[in-house]
This record gives sequence, structure tokens and C-alpha cells, in this order.
Amino acid sequence: MERTGSQSFALYVGLAVVCGILLFPIYWLFVTALSTLAEIRQLPPSFWPAEPQWSTFTKVASERPILLWLWNSTLAAIGSVGLSMIVSVFAGYSLSRFSLRGGRSLGLFILTAKMLPATLLVIPLFGIFRSIGLIGSLWSLVLAHATLIIPFTTWMLKGYFDTIPRELEQAAMVDGCSPLGAMFRVVLPVATPGLAATALYAFVLSWADYAYARTFLTNAQGSWTANLGITTMKGEYVTDWNEISAAAVFIALPILVIYLFLERYLVGGLTAGAEK
Amino acid sequence: MAGISIQNVYKNYGALNVLKEFSLEIADGEFVVLVGPSGCGKSTMLKILAGLEPASGGKILIGDKDVTDLAPGDRDIAMVFQNYALYPHLTVGQNIGFGLKMRGTPKAEIDKRVREVAKILAVDHLLERRPKALSGGQRQRVALGRAIVREPRAFLMDEPLSNLDAKLRVHTRAEISALHKRIGVTTVYVTHDQIEAMTMADRVVIMRDGVIQQIADPDTLFARPANLFVAGFIGSPGMNFLRARVEGGRLTLFGQTFDAPAGVGAGEVIVGIRPEHLALGQGNITFTVKPTLVESLGSEKYVYFEPGAHAYAASRDEERGKGLIARIAHAGPIREGKELLLSFDASEIHLFDAETEKAMN
Repeated sequence: MERTGSQSFALYVGLAVVCGILLFPIYWLFVTALSTLAEIRQLPPSFWPAEPQWSTFTKVASERPILLWLWNSTLAAIGSVGLSMIVSVFAGYSLSRFSLRGGRSLGLFILTAKMLPATLLVIPLFGIFRSIGLIGSLWSLVLAHATLIIPFTTWMLKGYFDTIPRELEQAAMVDGCSPLGAMFRVVLPVATPGLAATALYAFVLSWADYAYARTFLTNAQGSWTANLGITTMKGEYVTDWNEISAAAVFIALPILVIYLFLERYLVGGLTAGAEK
Repeated sequence: MAGISIQNVYKNYGALNVLKEFSLEIADGEFVVLVGPSGCGKSTMLKILAGLEPASGGKILIGDKDVTDLAPGDRDIAMVFQNYALYPHLTVGQNIGFGLKMRGTPKAEIDKRVREVAKILAVDHLLERRPKALSGGQRQRVALGRAIVREPRAFLMDEPLSNLDAKLRVHTRAEISALHKRIGVTTVYVTHDQIEAMTMADRVVIMRDGVIQQIADPDTLFARPANLFVAGFIGSPGMNFLRARVEGGRLTLFGQTFDAPAGVGAGEVIVGIRPEHLALGQGNITFTVKPTLVESLGSEKYVYFEPGAHAYAASRDEERGKGLIARIAHAGPIREGKELLLSFDASEIHLFDAETEKAMN
């Protein structure tokens, strides 16, 4: 059915409004980073600074250890994504393909773990990490994030593997692959969009964490992640909101770049199973 | 190439027995079709043969080698799947050569054999494409190519034509038969389509509820079905079944009494008459019917009529109710509700035991 002119107009207006609502906070972050403190405080607010303060970015990069914080966030995210993906690829594949005794209950148990709020685990994890000497180490974040991420990624990947016909593995096995060989040579390459979407989701979960970093890393400044570091930029009496916004832009950039690079996989991954 | 021996293979899923004591000897180079309705166990048997499902018991030999406990890749068989199962991330050439690569064949040899096979199947111009860029028929050819390139000892085919449209199915059916004649590899083919079974097979194995009903060549199956199920399954439209009685060696049908085949004792029987054995006008046994429906196919007409007191509903024909059908070639005008003279030859009827449903003549 073709759209009429008025329907198209309504559709585009609707899309423009939704995009405006979604993009406005990002735009406002940039405007704040480029504004002077006086412009930030003025009423009515200015929607674009008279003279954009690009120097705020260089100032933040040179005067604050933002690059170190980003590096720590990156290490924690890569570690937790790597660990989570290794575990959840095998777990998701097993749940998808094998009808094991108790497998269904185990799957549901993993699902319930998804429902636990992250903060509920902070205290027991703190106790465990203190007893094994991981407090202050990025490893504590890697492990803590993995406990949070694995239930999500396992179920995401199980859902994705369910959409891949079993006949592909069976064909590979008839062609001479072992079951594990069929998984690595056929299933995982076919599942690339799902793997990319899941890994990105896991990366964002780890990157966005504050509670675990605040609890496990507070006394080890050299291990601070970006989200933890940025909160220390707020002063007791004076806060340079333009600098905090510039730092926030630095933190948001890696996720945006990854989204741009993985976009074509993500669309495929998130819409998998929507067609026969 | 090799023959296949399946000895007393059965398969249970818990208490559910899906395949019961299946035994079959397949000669080297033979084309055997397993056919039956959904859930009859034919695909399970094929998967057990391929090593994709373990048997609960029994033994399978390919050639002289016991392969019962071997992995699929060690059985030296190739399989064509219903949905083709082409690897979507590989090109056509890589798909065809995948099995050779897994067996450590040198790259130059793989390239040579892939090109040869692609040429045979007329997909040599598609070698660099990915499966998603192929039509259904082309995908089917690539799936066949992947099977034949390894020169296996046996081909297993699991409803390979069911995803094709009717025209392409007829064409590909002929191609597979021609390919089998050309390379002569032992083939086990699974289908639920009796026309595929009848047109392609050297021998057909008819299955129902995990049990073999009859193993025979297509002509024998049609002419001498072993039981009511086989009689109803083979033939299109299916055989007409009527309830009748034999008394004193004489059978009464449509008000006519005639000699029953020799050796048939007194009692109730099921009479089978193929729709194409019913003719228009006077004949050996003649009777009058009132058509309830007439379907014209151009060259022939399907005339439906009520069986009256002889009503018997075999499971396969429940969909057309208890009505009988006559397949009349080159018929003139036939109108619904207007009386019509039909006849059949008593020698062409089939008799089945009303209790055991086994053939009596």
C-alpha cells in the first residue's frame, strides 16, 4: 500500500520529533562543553555559544588523566567482553542445541540472574575480591562485569543460535567436521552479526558501569575508569560543567565510533529471525 | 561406491518408539526411496544412516565396514538436505569444496574437482557468488555439487525437492535421476511425495509409524500392494475402498455377484479399485452411479460418486469423505446428478482382509 502525501508528512514529522528527543541531550552536551561558564549559567540559555571554546577539550586532555581513565575503561571492557563472550558462546550454543538433563532449569536460572540488580551483588563481590586480593585491580571489574554481562549475552546468543538451522552443522559434520569444528567453521562465522551485536551490548554494559568501579577501585587512582574519574571533577564549591561535559564527550566517543563501525552487523544481528 | 546393509535398526526417544526393527539391504548403485507420511520415521532412519542420530540398537554396514558407531564424517557418505544447508558465509566454490578441504585435499586438486563438478551441474559461472544470490534451483544444484564432489560411497537425500516450485521440481527430479544413472552411486532418498518415489526409485520402501509396510519396485507396489495402507498411499488419486462380503466363493458388489479370487474365504473383505480401472459404459461388471462432483482436468475427468452400502473410509481418503472416484480419460460431457454407467474388470480389483488389512489376492 502506497503512502499518501499527508501520511508521509506525518511520518517524517514524527521521526523528526523522536530524533530530536533522542539527540537533544547529546547536542546539549556538546553545547555545554563548548560554552563558557557564564554562558552555561545564563538565562534564557544560549543554544550555541558565541565563541565555541574548543580549548576546553585540550585543557581536559592535558590537565586531567582522562586518557588514563579511558584506557582503564577500555581494558576493563575488553577483558569483561572477552571473558563473557567466551563463556556465553559455549553456554548459549549448548542451551540452543543440546537437550541436557536439567538444561532448561539451568537456562531459567541464568535468566533469573539477569533480574538481579547490579548493586545487590556489590557487597558479596567486595567480600570475595578482598579475600583474594583483587580490590583496587582492574581484574575485579572484569570479573564483576562478567557476572553482570554473561546472563544477558548467554540468552542473546542462545536466541541467535536458535535462528541458525541445525542442518548447517549437520552438513558440516557429514563433510568431515567434528561437532566443535562445525561450530567454529560454520556456526560462529554465520553468527557474526549476532556475536557483534552481543559483544557491543556487553561492551556498553561494562563501559557504563559506575557502581562496581566506585566500590572496588576508589582507593586506587591509577586504576580509575572514566565513569569513576569524571565524578571526581565535580568540586565541592565550584564545578566546571564545561570541562565535565568535554570529558563526557571523550567517554561517549568510543561507543559512537564502535557503533559506526559495527552498524551493518548490528542491524543484521538485531533483526535476525525476523525473516525466514 | 558400496552397498548398504541396515540390520534391525530401531530408535527410541524415551518410551516413544519411532523406528521399529528396520532392516534393508541396498545393492551397490541402487536408488532406494523411503516414503511415507509425516512422522513415519523415514527422516530419522536417514539421519541414523548419516550418523547424525545414534540408533538405539541394530547395525549399519556401508560396503563391508560397520559404521554404526562412526561419526558422520568417517562414513564416506554425502547428504543433500531439504533446505540445502549451504554455508551462507562461503562462496559457491567454497561450499562445493568444503568437504574436500576438511579431508586435507590439496588446494589445486580441490579447485580442479570443484570446477569439474560445477560444469556438470551448470553452476560453473556462479562459483564466486554466495548462496543468497542464487535461485532455489541453483542452490539445489550447488547442494548436489557439494555431495558429488567428494565421490562418496553413498548419497543420502532428505526431501531435496520439497522447497522447489512444482515445475522446477519435475525438472530437478529428472536431473537427479539422470545424475544417478551417470555416476551410479548408491542413493537413499527420503520423500513424502509418492510421485517422486515412483518416478525415481529402483525400489521403494513404504513406511508408516516407524514400520516398513512394503519394499518393492514401483510397478509391483502399484500392481500388488501388500496392505491397505500401501494401496491407498500409492496412486493419485488414491485407490477406492469398499466394504463387501464373500460368500461361497462369490463376491457381491454394486448389486452384482461374481467369482472372488481363488483362495479367498467367506467373510467381510475390503475391495480396492483404482480410479483409473473404472471405465465409462458397459464392461465386465457394470453399475449405475449418480456423480456428486465432476472435476475436469482437460484430458480426463474425476467423477465422484457415493458408495452406498459399501462405504469404507480408509485413513488416507478421509479427506474426500466416503466418496468414490473414477478417473475417466477422454470423457464426453458428464453432469453432476445425472445417472452414469460405469464398469470395471473383476480381475483388476484388490481384496484386503477387513481385520488385518493385508492383501488377500
